Amino acid sequence: MLISTRWVKDFVDIPEVEAESMAERVTLATAEVENVIRPGAHLKDILIVVIEGVRKHPSSDRLHLASFDLEGQGTLEVVCGAPNVRVGLKVPYAPVGTTFPNGLTLTPKKIRGVVSRGMLCSEAELGLGEESSGLMELADHAPLGQCLLDFLSLEEDVVLDIDNKSLTHRPDLWGHFGFAREFSAIWEVPLKDPFDEKWKGPLEKHFTSSPSPLRLNVDSQGACLSYWALAVDGVEVTESPAWMQTRLLACGMRPINSIVDISNYVMLELGMPNHIFDRDKIAGDSLTIAPLGKKENFTTLDEVERPLVETDTVICDEKNPLVIGGIMGGLGSSVEEKTKNLLIEAANWKPSLIRQTCTRLGLRTESSQRYEKSLDGNLCYRTLLRILELVLRFNPKAKVLGAPVYDGVDLNASEKVTISTCVERINAQLGLALSTSFLTTLLESLGFVVNVKGSGALSIEVPSFRANKDVECEADIVEEVGRIVGYGRIDPAAPRADMRPHALRPEKAMHRRIQDYLFLKGRCLEVMTYPLVGKTLLEKCRWPDLGEKLTLLNPLSKDHDRMRPSLVPSLLSVSSLNQKSYHRFQFFEIGRVYLPGREEFAVEHTQAALAFFDQKGGRFQEMLGEVENLLRYLNIPAVLGGEEKGRNPVIPKEWPGCHPYEYQPIKVMGQKAGAVFSIHPLMQREFKIKGHLCVAVIDLQGVEGRRWPAKINYRPLPKYPSSVFDCTVVCEPQTPVGDVIGPLQKLKLKELVQVKIVDVFVPKGQMKCVTLRATFFDPKGTLDSATVKGCERSVVAALEKGGFPLKPSG
Amino acid sequence: MFLPILMHTFVWESMDMLKELEQLKSDFKTSLSKAATKTHLLELKSVYLGKKGKLSSILKGLKEMGPKERKTLGQKSNEYKREIETALSKKMEALEVFEIDEKLKKTGVDPTYRESLFDLGLMEAGLHPVTLVQREVEDIFLSMGLDILDGPHIEDDYHNFEALNIPADHPARDMQDTFWFKDLKHLLRTHTSTIQIRGMKMQRPPFKFVGPGKVFRSERTDASHEMVFHQLEGMMVDKDLSVANLIYFMKTLLTEVFGKETEVRLRPGFFPFVEPGFELDIRCQVCHGKGCRVCKQSGWVELLPCGMVHPNVLRFGRIDPSVYNGFAFGLGLDRLVMMKYGIDDIRHIHGGDLRFISQFRMY
Repeated sequence: MLISTRWVKDFVDIPEVEAESMAERVTLATAEVENVIRPGAHLKDILIVVIEGVRKHPSSDRLHLASFDLEGQGTLEVVCGAPNVRVGLKVPYAPVGTTFPNGLTLTPKKIRGVVSRGMLCSEAELGLGEESSGLMELADHAPLGQCLLDFLSLEEDVVLDIDNKSLTHRPDLWGHFGFAREFSAIWEVPLKDPFDEKWKGPLEKHFTSSPSPLRLNVDSQGACLSYWALAVDGVEVTESPAWMQTRLLACGMRPINSIVDISNYVMLELGMPNHIFDRDKIAGDSLTIAPLGKKENFTTLDEVERPLVETDTVICDEKNPLVIGGIMGGLGSSVEEKTKNLLIEAANWKPSLIRQTCTRLGLRTESSQRYEKSLDGNLCYRTLLRILELVLRFNPKAKVLGAPVYDGVDLNASEKVTISTCVERINAQLGLALSTSFLTTLLESLGFVVNVKGSGALSIEVPSFRANKDVECEADIVEEVGRIVGYGRIDPAAPRADMRPHALRPEKAMHRRIQDYLFLKGRCLEVMTYPLVGKTLLEKCRWPDLGEKLTLLNPLSKDHDRMRPSLVPSLLSVSSLNQKSYHRFQFFEIGRVYLPGREEFAVEHTQAALAFFDQKGGRFQEMLGEVENLLRYLNIPAVLGGEEKGRNPVIPKEWPGCHPYEYQPIKVMGQKAGAVFSIHPLMQREFKIKGHLCVAVIDLQGVEGRRWPAKINYRPLPKYPSSVFDCTVVCEPQTPVGDVIGPLQKLKLKELVQVKIVDVFVPKGQMKCVTLRATFFDPKGTLDSATVKGCERSVVAALEKGGFPLKPSG
Repeated sequence: MFLPILMHTFVWESMDMLKELEQLKSDFKTSLSKAATKTHLLELKSVYLGKKGKLSSILKGLKEMGPKERKTLGQKSNEYKREIETALSKKMEALEVFEIDEKLKKTGVDPTYRESLFDLGLMEAGLHPVTLVQREVEDIFLSMGLDILDGPHIEDDYHNFEALNIPADHPARDMQDTFWFKDLKHLLRTHTSTIQIRGMKMQRPPFKFVGPGKVFRSERTDASHEMVFHQLEGMMVDKDLSVANLIYFMKTLLTEVFGKETEVRLRPGFFPFVEPGFELDIRCQVCHGKGCRVCKQSGWVELLPCGMVHPNVLRFGRIDPSVYNGFAFGLGLDRLVMMKYGIDDIRHIHGGDLRFISQFRMY
């Protein structure tokens, strides 16, 4: 939104301040000024000269050297490429140092070996026209040496480029008059309201008692809230005056013709969009403003055919739709140069329905973006009169036909919004100490009506232009006061402290422990992958759950269109990516997986997953060790290994990605909650992973929500010695050592306090030898040799019973 | 006259013996210097100090001496014996050290043989940059007495919009590009503000908490826009909180985050769940307010939105706005991460490329 301060000055006398500090005040009090633009500022530097000599550029066929005299500087010569360069022509000259609207500053420059001292300009280069084919030709009476700004009687302006996003909640600021009210409050200068009751009178005198040529019919089911129309005959469509064109251009609008320019001008001035029809193009004598009721294509002003649907509200004559209500007019009824008779429309529309249609059509116009923000219907009549005023000013002979006609909601029915608060509460919420009179003046300058009751109680009536979803409660009043006073005037103050200690919640504490262990001990890097994955990835890794139930309606791409049911697929693709750069790596992620819920829409589990990769050899055993230690470090009741019966919800049985023999399940709190496994060679091939990848996944659901303090059972140091017994048993080479030690772990013998494996050895072509060490201990005394012998016999017997006989000696 | 002759003999004999001792000592020194092995030393020990050794044989004559001479010679010989013993054990020790040293010389490791010199693949380890910054910020909040909460990523319309004072047709919904699920009721949270609602419902005021986490926006991605990124929501609810308290809190927090006194300013900003709502700017850290490219010559950089909690939001959180009020803020963590490390492309955050992650290695 571009706001011309020149225009604002029609309504308020802004004190003389630097443009930049003005912009800063507006940013701090009202809305973010993104940029300060000075249209025409460069025209002060542009001087009028007359070309006195033209000769060919020594090294170019197309270029010329034009010379002219400039007072105080003698004769200057510049390089010129324009076709219309000729002796005696008066042209605008830009000296070195001029900064053009496109931001370029003219520097002395050699053009094909000749230094050009500035340049002669075209209208386009000066920002005075859209395009031009040569130098701007100035009238013969143009005074030499005068600056172009003075010659064209243009006003120097400062335009504030306001961030539209910061006006989302302020429909009143979509016009210059609304902004003038802000300026008036910020600088404490009075707002001049030229559109008061006194102004209406003379305009209303143009109304006649004859009936209006058109009848209105507003369907309250449609998008229309209020519709005013007024017929004016006998206008002449011309070019609008320079001052109006300058203002429109400053606000980024292209002048078109006197009538269209008035329509745009009034919208930019009062913030209310409007429409002017060529009345001769309206068929019949009534307009219906209602939902279209059918599907139909409609060509808008910009010559684009747009597919409308049943619920889009249109303005129809007795034959066809003429306008998409509140959004854009049609090509068929627009004002052209031959237009003589007008129908002026000022209407208000339902924001939500306008938004719906705009979003569907992908069409956002100056008009629709204002209506979407809930405009004040009371402004329609003023808009109508202001258009009439300007039409009559440009066309003194034009005649009004009848009086304005209206259909729509009852304009008197809207209730006033009144807010009760008190000075003390406003001050307390801001941390300020403002007086009642100061507050009252401030709020009144913004258009509020303030009634002071006893002891600082305030009853504040919100003006209609702020009452639409904008100012509704006390907090809104606090904001009005705070922003105009300036938040910078509030001294920071410490809040009252409450003294509750806070520790990390168990989930967060556990995530941190996992992270710490894996990067410090596991030498891992932590990665994050997208919680959104695509069907292609899930299919590629043949994951049984394709996440169909948690698919997005409006994904950005097919690769990220559903919630991941597991971390494993992403882990595979990250491994695939990184094995191109490294022959060995290890990484982990703690992230959520998303599954459809039974009662709720979805459940989210946090899982920790790690991947070890090596091009040369498998790291399954290393990973088992790391995971075992990690589980121990977390103190959680978890078991790694053992037989797995039934479905593991974390790694589905039917998933073909697991190595058939390198797989160990993880149980947490007695529930299947993950696994450590190598990736099947076929799956690795699918992901072009050349090497060995193993993966561990642990689901933290349930276990992460509790604290698991370390259980340390301190016992006094033993007073008596323990006794150690080593024995070597034999077994088949493929027997797991865990099976060999098994019988001793299960053996119930009170003196047996520890069993460990000391050595595993497979002599070539023979049975595997496993040396075990049993420790016997009695806290009550030194074990006598008979007891020790007895214990040893029990150990050997248990091993033999388990199928592991002692290795024959010798 | 008998006595003097006798005396003379004695004197002569004792002189002779002394010479022998001296000789023994010097002989020992010579042979010690030649001894190069422990065996030599043991031999020397038995030759000089053994029962049948040289010293013993000299001392045999001692019995013949008178008490005075015996005393003198005895002392002398003991002295020499000790000297020889000490010299032997010293040499013995030196030889032992030398021998061990010779052994160690052969078995000693190459101190330049370091893991870091070898291509063992990727051995750098550390946390994700977002984790690093998030932990740092979380710890500051924890130290300021704030609880740390989170909520689900898959939310419903109620938590993401309605309870945050963004009803169905509110223009603010346009500001959020929402990922919707096919049921049109559920969505991916577009901001961590959803945690406000969950935080309010799980406790009674006064309370204060932050909620860091992932958020999702259906925005075209490029170097500075991502569909998944991280925010941190903060909320404090109590009686009689003011804008002055909010400014104090933010200033204290940001001074800690940036590790230096940070100047802040508030300007109006529109967010439906706060009223008044602010954009909080900080003094540009690059030019210190003089004006540069980073701050677009304004001297200020927009950092975070904040405001006083809208009474409607408190009501949705089952808190009576006539008794309590509060303030809330949202911090973009990815932006903080990118500012801190000078990261050029936000898409690296979730890219999983270890060439990126390994640059944040912790060892």
